[in-house]
Amino acid sequence: MSTSPHSFPKLPRGPDVLGELLHSLCQPLTSLRCSLELSIEEVAEQQQESVAVALQQTERVIGMIQLMREYLDAEQPGPEAFSSALAPVMRSVIEDLSSIAAVRGVRLRLVGTCTATVPVPEPRLRLALQYLIASMIEAQAVGGKVTLLLGEGPAGAVLRVEGERGFREVDFQNQEPSAMSPRTKRDPEGATSASGSTLRRVRLAIASRVLETAGASLVFGDVSRTRVDPAGFVLRIPRRVGPPA
Amino acid sequence: MRILIVEDDAALSSFLRKGLEAEHHTVDVANEGKQGRAMAMEVDYDLVVLDLNLPGVDGLSVLKSLRQRKANLPVMILTARSRVEDRVQCLDSGADDYLVKPFSFLELSARARALLRRSHLPSESILTVRDLCLDRVERRVERAGRQIELTTKEFALLEYLMRNAGRRLTRAMIIEHVWNLTFDSTTNVVDVYINYLRRKVDDGFSPSLIHTVRGVGYQICPEGASA
Repeated sequence: MSTSPHSFPKLPRGPDVLGELLHSLCQPLTSLRCSLELSIEEVAEQQQESVAVALQQTERVIGMIQLMREYLDAEQPGPEAFSSALAPVMRSVIEDLSSIAAVRGVRLRLVGTCTATVPVPEPRLRLALQYLIASMIEAQAVGGKVTLLLGEGPAGAVLRVEGERGFREVDFQNQEPSAMSPRTKRDPEGATSASGSTLRRVRLAIASRVLETAGASLVFGDVSRTRVDPAGFVLRIPRRVGPPA
Repeated sequence: MRILIVEDDAALSSFLRKGLEAEHHTVDVANEGKQGRAMAMEVDYDLVVLDLNLPGVDGLSVLKSLRQRKANLPVMILTARSRVEDRVQCLDSGADDYLVKPFSFLELSARARALLRRSHLPSESILTVRDLCLDRVERRVERAGRQIELTTKEFALLEYLMRNAGRRLTRAMIIEHVWNLTFDSTTNVVDVYINYLRRKVDDGFSPSLIHTVRGVGYQICPEGASA
């Protein structure tokens, strides 16, 4: 039997290889997670602790797979039809994160608004903003403050985020213990660990990639000269060209 | 309720069957698309849980066929594809819900209940667990006739717990549904808010309704029994 060269399957390359591997990992991981969830109440009490640990570790692996997926997807611009009004998404992200900030003893304040529609699908925009702002919250000490200034320039929307401490202190140096106790029981490595810091850096990389794919510019570092040692980021997102979706 | 699972991974379909049967559903399993489509057409199911990546006829084709003949049958899609476009394509093709692998069984179970409830019952405006009442329209909570003041997040958390009364909810499910976050915020915000709720809803009342499920998360117990 002869095989035409045209019938040879196209081999995946680059990110596609990772994408296919992640896709294949999802099936056994779903079985593993469901099996542990279902068995935790069935096993004897002495074994419940072990099953609980296995379940936590499985969930950590799944969390990392989720990040890998987000990183791979971040470069896809998404169909033209997808765009979002920035201000409502921003307000909703602030609402979601404000109780988390409060638990950490950090004040979160949004000032200003804008009317721009930006060329990023809403779920991705929400994800990128959540990652950026959550990282700023995590960087603050108790009693710290994060101020978000939303405005509009000729080219699009501008978001200036100021904190009393920036990303560098948390993500590029050793982190001090956080204001709230991290979830030591569930995540023994907690927020102060190297792996916690790595995850935060990966989240920032995903946010950056999502936004830059949409033509935005994201600059980390000192953003104001009016205070002592303020730090944060400035995000400029172009308006969507054409009729809104 | 009678549920059809169309999933080619034998291990996964067996866990799903086991879990759903433990929740008193009758469950059938099809391991490939053609068989799943035939079963869904012939039998009067309350819900179809359909994997997208099936041998032979793929899940999307099964879904499209089902929609032509059974427009009101709730269909939940299982898939490893997580992009916005994939989600939109599935929902546009008539799926009622969409769950990305590797999902939690507890999440699947909660969503299945929501779909079944939506197709069989009008949405309840008042949720009740023993002497605890939550009015979703008036945004009011009472226990044993005494009014309880809750913040917006506390209300949302209690509503989520009560809507899933008697079921285990993981911290990840709670943070996703109540806080709209899909990642670990590195705070113990769920535990903190559960404590706030306990102080308001359980302290001074008997029995305690909010229980910790070791290694999993929390649940509100209608029986008031220890979880």
